[in-house]
Amino acid sequence: MSRSLMLALGAVFAFPGLAAAQGPAAATGGWVGPFAVIAAGIGMALAAGLCGLGQGRAVAAAVDAMARQPAAAARIQTAMIIGLALIESLAIYVLVVAMILLFVQPIKG
Amino acid sequence: MEAIEHPPIFSLPGIPDHVTYTWIVMIILAGLAFVASRRMDLVPRGTQNFLEVVLEQFQALIDDVIGPEGRPYLPLIATLGLFILTGNLLSLIPGVAGPTANLNTTAACAIIVFVSYHAIGIRRQGFVNYFKHFMGPVPLLAPLMIPIETISHLARPLSLSLRLFGNMTGGHILLAIIFFLMGLDGLIGWALSGSPAGAIVGGVGGLIMIVFTVGFLYPLKILVSVLQAFIFVMLTMLYIAGATEGAEHHHAEHH
Repeated sequence: MSRSLMLALGAVFAFPGLAAAQGPAAATGGWVGPFAVIAAGIGMALAAGLCGLGQGRAVAAAVDAMARQPAAAARIQTAMIIGLALIESLAIYVLVVAMILLFVQPIKG
Repeated sequence: MEAIEHPPIFSLPGIPDHVTYTWIVMIILAGLAFVASRRMDLVPRGTQNFLEVVLEQFQALIDDVIGPEGRPYLPLIATLGLFILTGNLLSLIPGVAGPTANLNTTAACAIIVFVSYHAIGIRRQGFVNYFKHFMGPVPLLAPLMIPIETISHLARPLSLSLRLFGNMTGGHILLAIIFFLMGLDGLIGWALSGSPAGAIVGGVGGLIMIVFTVGFLYPLKILVSVLQAFIFVMLTMLYIAGATEGAEHHHAEHH
């Protein structure tokens, strides 16, 4: 498990450097670009997964509360939607950072 | 972003696209308001009825969150909500650049919210009283609380603008990438190429993609559009409630 993980990580970290060294990368901006693409992908994956976990906990608690007290369902739902928006905004920050890395490319290596 | 997103079909030369489409949203909203208020009846019909229902929803929301003293802020909140909702829904039309999918538009909305809720708080409580809340409940903790409160207040417009922008742009990139990656134009081109195999494979593939997009992604995007407008309005109201709430609290303590 850990060996294959290391292998995968090694491949991930070795490959873009190789690709940049071999390809005509000088015109497109060096070795930062491929790393930026990988960083955007890994970052978005982590953010989406953990954001999903957090939202799942929030929704589970809210549904539990709504089942216990159906009379308060509307208020709980409003609070839940606001909470979900606040949780989701963290993943959105990562999306914005990923888009900056991909499209704006502020760091030229 | 120009790499994957098609430029809008209609654009004015020399003017950024989000500004053009902001104007279109303004024309739509102003036209609706003009049509609704041209001949106002006591018993509303048509457009007037529709807009009254919408604004009553906003008012009910304000009563629910801020309380009756939040009614003077209905114009601000409802304008922001209607503008963002219209902008979000407008960007679902293919070939149209959504104004809310640009950080400039959302940041403008968020800065308006930031400035106005501070102005409301200062107006309601006075300058000194309002900023006294920044020091926290215990005077000893003030050196710790002031930076924390300042940062949390400055983070509000940032999160407001980035949330709306990220949700809208993320949806557009998702649509663009699905068209791009699954090659809808390639499939359609194959279907129209004339060869029987291409017609079958390309036709079926294109049909599956169109059904997937129209049946799943578009409802999702409509939901996100309405939800993000709701959340923007809701957070605006919560911030205004936070700025006015202290006054009531203060008031109650004195009596």
